[in-house]
Amino acid sequence: MRISGLVGASALALVLSSGAFAQEASLDLVEPIAEYKIYVSEKVAKLVEDTTAFTAAVKAGEVDKAKALFAPTRLSYEAIEPIAELFSDLDVSIDSRADDYEKAEADPEFPGFHRIEYGLWEKNSAEGLAPVADKLLADVKELEGRIASLTFPPEKVVGGAAVLMEEVAATKISGEEDRYSHTDLWDFRGNFDGARKIVDLVRPLIAEKEADFLKTVDANFATVDTTLAKYKDGEGYVTYDKLTEDDRKVLAAAVNTLAEDLSTLRGKLGLD
Amino acid sequence: MSSPDPQRDGTPSSRLMTIALLGAGILVLAGGGAFYLASQKVARPVEAGAIAVRVGDKSCEPMDLTVPAGRSVFEIENASNRPIEWEILDGVMVVEERENIAPGFRSQLATRLKPGSYDITCGLLSNPRGKLTVIASAHSEAEKAKPPLKAFIGPLSEYKVYLVLQSGQMIQATKTLQNAIEAGDVAATKAAYGAARVAYRHVESVSGRIADIENAMDPVAAYLAGREQDPAFTGFHRIEFGLWRESSVAGLKPIADKLIADAATLRDRLKVLKFEPADLSGNSAREARRLAEGPVISGDSLYASDDLAEFAAAVDGLEKPVSLLLPLVAEASPETVKTVTDAFAATRAEIGKLGGTGTPVAYTDVPPDARKTLSASFMALADAIDRINPALGQE
Repeated sequence: MRISGLVGASALALVLSSGAFAQEASLDLVEPIAEYKIYVSEKVAKLVEDTTAFTAAVKAGEVDKAKALFAPTRLSYEAIEPIAELFSDLDVSIDSRADDYEKAEADPEFPGFHRIEYGLWEKNSAEGLAPVADKLLADVKELEGRIASLTFPPEKVVGGAAVLMEEVAATKISGEEDRYSHTDLWDFRGNFDGARKIVDLVRPLIAEKEADFLKTVDANFATVDTTLAKYKDGEGYVTYDKLTEDDRKVLAAAVNTLAEDLSTLRGKLGLD
Repeated sequence: MSSPDPQRDGTPSSRLMTIALLGAGILVLAGGGAFYLASQKVARPVEAGAIAVRVGDKSCEPMDLTVPAGRSVFEIENASNRPIEWEILDGVMVVEERENIAPGFRSQLATRLKPGSYDITCGLLSNPRGKLTVIASAHSEAEKAKPPLKAFIGPLSEYKVYLVLQSGQMIQATKTLQNAIEAGDVAATKAAYGAARVAYRHVESVSGRIADIENAMDPVAAYLAGREQDPAFTGFHRIEFGLWRESSVAGLKPIADKLIADAATLRDRLKVLKFEPADLSGNSAREARRLAEGPVISGDSLYASDDLAEFAAAVDGLEKPVSLLLPLVAEASPETVKTVTDAFAATRAEIGKLGGTGTPVAYTDVPPDARKTLSASFMALADAIDRINPALGQE
């Protein structure tokens, strides 16, 4: 029922011009976008602080400490990915995966968080990682500076909610993002928090007209919350392999639905 | 309406895959349908066909694309043997992207593009990038001269962030000021006063228009019946009077307490204040004119005489909202950008000339004719800023 409805709507959208039923973007978006920038600025400040401690541990060869700091440090990055990803050069140097390189893990160009993750978990060593750590810290500081001077494009902010859920659907639900450390559930948390923040900020603008939509979205966020809560371990989460197949399916269904639903948010706010 | 995107990406989850396959079918049908409708010359607007991009192991096909400005739909096929990400780049900035398209899958991307040259990524990071050229259309040309309301949301938000951060800094500085007063440290209080005034000057083009706050934080003795002895003589200048005229912090504690409370109120008011697009440059022009007519001629800091530092901070505050509009102005009227940029440089140069180097010059030592020259510079700045709204089709 759902799927056929979606396909029907899509077919209509494809045939009609996008302007046909366009919502007009309203200046009521100014406050949510401003609030979102402040949220992102606070997160990136935390990212710099955490990355400073993480890279210091890597450079000191404190493998266990570095491993413990890896996932919590990434949390802030994952929450602000819709903005962080706008800077293609930094996204590559901070968060690219081995697949993007010709020689995969063996490629000398393979940088950032995942290069360090590979060393710490696959090799159980911080050897040779000092320059990678220095570069990572320099890159997150550069990111902080660029975010400070960026005028946030409203369509990227509002579209960011869907981007985060697509990100989870595309690369997280399979456990391939943090494939060496299996700390994917932490990243999930960051992505969900980031997506929910965006929804909450624009909620007053659509609360009346889109009550059903919000109800569905909230229900799926709640499903994710309840499912993730089962795997809580101290401040964070157990490794991804502990996730049962049933729960993986529950999460996947909620995430896919969220990705589909939230992809309409831009249109609802006149930003397509 | 929203972008269609029945197939957000090529995720091999069964559900999305089903949707993707259905979507691909629909796309073919819709493409055919669009062609049919177009051939029948139906007046109803028809979605243009999706632009196919095939990403192979080493490159895109084609490597060179040209599309008209406005909305385009791309259909990316991953013909390589690795998952890919496809991006449209403007310099290092990502304009639009689709992540994790699995080998053999297609993904659709709808976006609005402005005229210009862009890069497209083609698989591995080491692969050469393709070119995407977006050519101007009648509609995109018309939008330059009158950008849609949507184009102002970003600049208005960014200015709001600036106002909130600056008023936050003002609260911090007034707290430092209060601590220094409590410690009885005149030198430290003077330093904190300067820092708080810089933040105040940054937001003054807006805060100066909130009358009750302005009267509580920034009244000048000249406008009060009892001058410095008037009970309504509060806020910044009362503290300035104590520090520079009486060289003492005596009696300043309650004034500082009130100033902190007022600064917090100001921040809350700025947070909820509603601006129209025309306000961004309009407020700056008005404030530049006010400075030219009043403070630059007669001086505002009658006891500290540090007006030149305050004027410099004020210019930064005038420039912030204007700078947020300049990318739009650059498209509409490049010569207006030059006029405005030159006017800011000229006013800064005038302040610099009077300030000299090294020890700050007291404004009491700046003679009337020099003040007139500086005033003329602020007036010219106001005139230059006033060219922005018409250039953007505002008013």
